Amino acid sequence: MKERFAKISPFQVDPKEIEQAFGLNSGDFEAASETEKESVVEKRKSVSYWRDAWRRFRANTVSMIALFVFILCLLFAFVGPSLVPYGYGDQYRSSQKLSPFELSKDEAKVEALSGHCDAFYATALQPGSLTAIKKGDYFIRFGGKTYAFTASKAIEKSVIVLDVKAEEPLMLVKMSDIQDDGTWKKSTPIEHTDTPAEGAAEIKLISRVFPHVFGTDSAGRDLMARTMYGAQVSIIIGISAAIIVLLIGSVYGAISGLAGGAVDFVMMRIVELIYSIPEVLIVLLLQVVLKDPLQAWFDAHKTGIGGMLGDLGAGIVSIFITFALLYWVTMARIVRGQVLQLRKQEYVTAAVALGATSGRIIKRHLLPNAVGSLVITTCLQIPSAIFLESFLSFLGLGVSAPMASLGSLCSDALETITLFPHRLFYPAIMLTVIVLTLNLIGDGLRDALDPRLKK
Amino acid sequence: MASYILKRILAAIGTLLIIMAITFFLMNAIPGNPFLSEKASPQAIELAFKKYGLDKPLIVQFRNYVSNYLHGDLGVSLKMQEGTDVAKILFQQGKFDLSIKLGISALVLAVLIGIPLGCIAAYRRGTWLDGLLRVMTTVGVAIPTFVLATLLLAVLAVQLRWLDPKSGSLTDFRSFIMPVISLSSYYICYVAKLTRTSMLDAINQDYIRTARAKGVKTRVLVLKHALRNSLIPVITYLGPVTAGIITGSFVVESTFQIPGLGKYFVQSVLNRDYPVIMATTVVLSALVIVMNLVVDIAYRLVDPRITLTNREG
Repeated sequence: MKERFAKISPFQVDPKEIEQAFGLNSGDFEAASETEKESVVEKRKSVSYWRDAWRRFRANTVSMIALFVFILCLLFAFVGPSLVPYGYGDQYRSSQKLSPFELSKDEAKVEALSGHCDAFYATALQPGSLTAIKKGDYFIRFGGKTYAFTASKAIEKSVIVLDVKAEEPLMLVKMSDIQDDGTWKKSTPIEHTDTPAEGAAEIKLISRVFPHVFGTDSAGRDLMARTMYGAQVSIIIGISAAIIVLLIGSVYGAISGLAGGAVDFVMMRIVELIYSIPEVLIVLLLQVVLKDPLQAWFDAHKTGIGGMLGDLGAGIVSIFITFALLYWVTMARIVRGQVLQLRKQEYVTAAVALGATSGRIIKRHLLPNAVGSLVITTCLQIPSAIFLESFLSFLGLGVSAPMASLGSLCSDALETITLFPHRLFYPAIMLTVIVLTLNLIGDGLRDALDPRLKK
Repeated sequence: MASYILKRILAAIGTLLIIMAITFFLMNAIPGNPFLSEKASPQAIELAFKKYGLDKPLIVQFRNYVSNYLHGDLGVSLKMQEGTDVAKILFQQGKFDLSIKLGISALVLAVLIGIPLGCIAAYRRGTWLDGLLRVMTTVGVAIPTFVLATLLLAVLAVQLRWLDPKSGSLTDFRSFIMPVISLSSYYICYVAKLTRTSMLDAINQDYIRTARAKGVKTRVLVLKHALRNSLIPVITYLGPVTAGIITGSFVVESTFQIPGLGKYFVQSVLNRDYPVIMATTVVLSALVIVMNLVVDIAYRLVDPRITLTNREG
């Protein structure tokens, strides 16, 4: 201390005098000790961008409710089908045109059985054919026991009834022998053993008839199962299309914004051109053009990527292609605008002055600052893709039967609107709820990720 | 200004040419041809191809389209009304009229209801009225046109029997109700949302405070000072929307069985009636392009600060 303030020239004042004159204490200028240093170390971790955004999002009641409802929709669409015993394409001959919760004659008859036995299997309740059990070996697992039997001929219009306490636990009852109260006039015992024969097929017994919660359509398909699969298709299309748009749009926009000059000019003229095309006309044409060649290609390439896309169906894949061709322009414009705006910011200039490479500027400055608007635009793209798909399916150009989408379900329902208005209700509500919640989540994300935009 | 408009018109013609090329390429890529049917023999098809010039190389066909269009000739229908002038089908059989009537009514409704609703919501922000309008508009933009159309049909026409489910050719006022409501509801809600946001922006500006301090009446303040300045985003939106309204009418037309342009276009695609596909696309695209141009000029009239030549994309 003394040395530092040692007199260098005669004009210099004695440190003591300064201390006195300004009320300073020379002790304040001592080097900090280890314990003092610790007090400066941050006690609370700084809040990251995402954590901060999540905090803001959580505070937004409307968005949180929307998120919750959307998760319910996701569960309905993706977990639901495994809880319902009906498939989207399964046609139940005797269950056509049922109202919600209504049971067909056969189903009511079989349902009445539930009080009189432990479990049953009715051929009449199987999809498509009445001869669900062909000649062959079968086994049943129920209550820890195995019942194996051989059908010497096809079993039809009958019910396999299992009553554990009865003398003959496994018996065959003809549908016509079942009375309205669930008792049966006569039954034939089925001879069974404990060990199934090689290659025997399992038959799953049920103890109640699963109700058609939304009713069935004219082909005898369960509408709840169809609505679930339809919602699944719509959500998958929405999310995949949004990702396609995000990838193409952001790369295109970023190149255009970063390159600038003539490249930017040409790229933006292309965007303007696509913008002024009446897209629905081209989309309709594209759908018709792509459908057959795509189908042919899928049929030729059953393995690998062809098989994967083939499972989705030509209609859906051509919707993806449409999105990849036409719908990325909004995203490209937004990304380009962001890049242009961010590039002029002082901190980017400062980074350039400090010698940062372009890669570092993109990674550290442009991307983190643009990520908010990217997420928001992508999220709001999902409902627009769902809109487009349902619109095309409604016009009969989207998914092909028996596959369902919410749009095709609405379109099917329109044909019978005078007789069965309820058929329209479920897919329409489902579609509206999905789009509504996604819009609200998008709004919430905008407020959370980019608080400057909050109005 | 004049040179700007000229430039835009030239660009519009270029855009139309490219749209024609895309349409031509796509429609020729549709499998099958218009004369394919069970009865048609290969000779008959060949004859028909010769008659309508479909046997020529594609590039020649395309050149013929362009030169015919420049002469105002839209060609003749190949299948749906064989031999009839496409121009006659589109403009004289009321198809174009119907779609435009429907589209304009919906557009007018969107402006006349959407903007006032947005103003009210912005002016009464934070009140129950604002909340109610917010819920209504949020739900309104989430309902797809065809869902609303079919719901209206189910309730008003089927359950209550107030209206005829088939609007037909829109001859009286009652037949307009359902198609126009279902077509315009999305746009009413969107315009209301947009107006509210930009009105709020405008209301918080200094010049509004100044005007208020000067003692300008509320009515004048809202209508003259705030609204005029908040209309730009709305106008920007309404330009491209004209396209949406006409294409949205595809669904409305098929739901209410209105024989308009949209429905005819879908049929022409399914029938591969090439000249009809081409003419419909070009007519609708031209309409969209013209509307965009009109909007860009309307911009300047509303806000002289915008210079047309230096507008950033």
